Amino acid sequence: MIYKSAEERQLAKVWEPPKGWRYFSDVNNSTIGVWYISTAFAFMLFGGALALLIRLQLAVPENTLLSANLYNQVFTLHGTVMMFLFAVPIFEAVAILILPAMLGARDLPFPRLSSFGYWCFLIGGVFVCGSIFFDSAPDAGWFMYPPLSTEQSGIGADIWLLGLSFIEVASIAAAVELIVGVLKCRAPGMHINLTPLYGWYVLIVGAMILFAFPPLIAGDYLFELERAFDWPFFDVSRGGDPLLWQHLFWIFGHPEVYIIFLPAIALLAMIVPTFTQRPIAGYSWIVLSALGTGFLSFGLWVHHMFTTGLPAISLGFFSAASEAVAIPTGIQIFVFIATVMMGNVVRSVPMLFCLGALATFIVGGLTGVMIAVAPFDFQVHDTHFIVAHLHYTLIGGMLFPVMAGVQYYYPFVTAKVLSWRLGIWSFWLMFGGFNIGFLPMHFTGMLGMPRRVFTYDADRGWDLLNMVSTIGAFIFAAGFLVMVWDCVRPKGRDKDATRNVWNAGTLEWAGRVPADNWGMRSIPQINSRYPLWDDKTLLETIDQGRGLLPSAEEGKRETLVTSVLDAKPLQILRVAGPSWLPMISAFGLGAVFIFATWKLWWLTLAGGIVFLVAVLWWLWTGTAVIPEKPTKDVGDGRQMPLYVAGVRSTGWWAMFITMTGDLTAYLSLLFGYFFFWTVHEEFPPAHIEGPGWQWPAVAALLTLLTWALTLGARLINARGRPGLAQVLLALGLVAAAASGLALMAGPWTNGLDPTEHTYPAIVWALVVWIVLHLAAGMIMQAYCIARSRFRKLTPEHDADLWNVTLYWHFTGFCGLLTALVIGGFPLVQ
Amino acid sequence: MNANRAHDEVERETGHGTDLWRVIAAPIVWALHFLFCYIYGAIYCEKLGRDAPLDDARIAIIIATVFALALIALSTVHLWRVRGRSLTDNDFEFEHNTPEERHRFLSHVALMLCVLSAVAVIYVAIPMLYLVNCR
Repeated sequence: MIYKSAEERQLAKVWEPPKGWRYFSDVNNSTIGVWYISTAFAFMLFGGALALLIRLQLAVPENTLLSANLYNQVFTLHGTVMMFLFAVPIFEAVAILILPAMLGARDLPFPRLSSFGYWCFLIGGVFVCGSIFFDSAPDAGWFMYPPLSTEQSGIGADIWLLGLSFIEVASIAAAVELIVGVLKCRAPGMHINLTPLYGWYVLIVGAMILFAFPPLIAGDYLFELERAFDWPFFDVSRGGDPLLWQHLFWIFGHPEVYIIFLPAIALLAMIVPTFTQRPIAGYSWIVLSALGTGFLSFGLWVHHMFTTGLPAISLGFFSAASEAVAIPTGIQIFVFIATVMMGNVVRSVPMLFCLGALATFIVGGLTGVMIAVAPFDFQVHDTHFIVAHLHYTLIGGMLFPVMAGVQYYYPFVTAKVLSWRLGIWSFWLMFGGFNIGFLPMHFTGMLGMPRRVFTYDADRGWDLLNMVSTIGAFIFAAGFLVMVWDCVRPKGRDKDATRNVWNAGTLEWAGRVPADNWGMRSIPQINSRYPLWDDKTLLETIDQGRGLLPSAEEGKRETLVTSVLDAKPLQILRVAGPSWLPMISAFGLGAVFIFATWKLWWLTLAGGIVFLVAVLWWLWTGTAVIPEKPTKDVGDGRQMPLYVAGVRSTGWWAMFITMTGDLTAYLSLLFGYFFFWTVHEEFPPAHIEGPGWQWPAVAALLTLLTWALTLGARLINARGRPGLAQVLLALGLVAAAASGLALMAGPWTNGLDPTEHTYPAIVWALVVWIVLHLAAGMIMQAYCIARSRFRKLTPEHDADLWNVTLYWHFTGFCGLLTALVIGGFPLVQ
Repeated sequence: MNANRAHDEVERETGHGTDLWRVIAAPIVWALHFLFCYIYGAIYCEKLGRDAPLDDARIAIIIATVFALALIALSTVHLWRVRGRSLTDNDFEFEHNTPEERHRFLSHVALMLCVLSAVAVIYVAIPMLYLVNCR
């Protein structure tokens, strides 16, 4: 690419990716996005190979290809890989890659966080997948039900728990990044009603992650405490209950299905208008149905537990909600069909995948309505009917839309168009193979074939159907390989795609070909949903640098922050450049989780220290940097601030979002406490002394004091008294330490033994959770003191203190609630 | 506001107050109603045993349902006015570039979500009307 003007050369220099081996320190969204997608697809191929092993094993009755033990590992890992290492990460990957361009941003607000998330995902994924080569993969099903997983599984269950907890960190990081991205980084004028539908979906799914993943983190926490330290949360003989795990798992697991489905359908919402050459029919209907689905999807989790013996009335509520969710889901499908009917469809491979996705998903959706009816579910529960249903929804609702997205966005990323011929071949092989493979499973299920059995007798009458399924699976795999080959084959002789190759209307296609690392030359004013169709002068405005932020004269990477509803420019955000620190942090955190699996505590501690040092270094050098001047010309004469603290800053939002997720995890633990109360006649049990009310009361007061001191420090600092603020923070640090000790003193002095019964175990679990949070809060207070002493935190530049105070709002609340519950609840019994 | 008005913008007077919180108000009512029904039912049946009749629970759920529907109705009435005043030009695309259009758009989404939430609240309450005990 030849850069004509001095401004272009500046931008190119500032946004240039690092060269040589330093390439792996890159943090730019276009690089991370490509790594993320490639890694997710690599895991997908691995999961697919496992699926083929399953199908080979089941092809004929009484097969001896795989042992029962290996078969257990294979199907567990297949489900785990496809859900945790492909379906969810591919959403994050695609969003990180295309969202900034779609919104007219140069990068997402926290590029290093994306990078950190990616490395967590890669390390955790390799760890979990690699276990099968050592015959130690998880083998109790992808939902790890206790007591099977607690009593009988080997190290595999720990690998699953710790490896996936680690990957969940990546998901929450992505949720933070993407929510702030959609809300705060849209091009000027892109009101919330003009935001591309993909942005809406990402926003909704990001929010869902905050409420869906933390219950699983809480569940993992309890589960690992049981596995590693014998705290009996799920052990019935000591007052535990395996159903608690099922609740926590499925409070995560069902919304997760929609967390997978919505962003994939979001790709259809971008692709269908392009290939019908008209705006989507019913934009607001899509938004409302995506929002409605997001909410209702949290009321479905018990439909995975219809056969656990819950009262019929509980089943009834969840059955009703499961039927209700079909309404918004259906609306989205009808909107797509209406758009296709009202437009002139351009024949293309992405569109073919879209139509295949709709057809397949409708079948899966209809069987979903069937099994939402509890009595029908009783009949087919745990049979291959369910396998067929879930694959129709996931392949139709996720895989085919993602394939459409790969076909559609390939030129956006690589400047080359995929082959038409190979695309058609791969679609029909996949679509045909999928239906040959999975349609018969409805019948094998109806004939009574259970899931997760490694073989079956010849006289059951399941052999022909199974053989057909296996043949279909291989045809499906062949189609997938054709697509993979098309993506990776050398394309040196192919011509570059033209600019906006599909004649799309949305902003991500405004970029030049091949793409510039900086995204858009300048950020234009947006006046409609499909600016490339409606504004014929848009490309010229962008290219001639007549939009905002046309240069990077200070040599810093910058993007625009705008207001949430009306996208008015508010701030010029300096985003971070390449760094090894996110990768080092991820390796440190990875070491914590991996060494903890084998209870190598010293190495775990070492990993923790690496993580902590790297994160602190990263924060110290890369965040809340005081700019050389307070404001800067945004490009049209308006001066915009370079440093913003408090509720209008992206960092504050990121902390708020993170802590919302953290609060959800805490509330899930608290749910555990009250869950045990409901299932026991007497809770706390009569023969066990509680933590008493005195020490918890002291802890509550000290927590309140810590909170007040931290808040006071922020207010005093803002009044120009940084010295006094440091003193308050130091006092807060002491108060926090004291409140942690007081909280532990209750159960400690009363001799609560967490291995004896569930009650002391859940009390200790809550206490440990809070103590860990207090410790993190103390590190933050110490960090603020240091920042203040080194003049990196001043009365005018106090973003760090705002964010730490926000952390303490949440932690103070949770600490207080814990003290009240463990100290007060036994009194009201 | 006029400065942001697109050249082909139609004059309307529907205000500008609807924000994202207002949009999710009705679904939040659904979520709270759902949680109440489930938790109340679960504790009721767990503490009274599987043979307990659901009579008392039914009354509680019906009251909760009426309350939830009333809250949703309140939100609906407010939003209905926005809809009524902007019906004059038959525009359901909400694609103009003004804060007022954003307001109309979010009001429309919120209104439709009220309908969906009300339907979902009623769905969830139905099982309580015909089940008789905790079995």
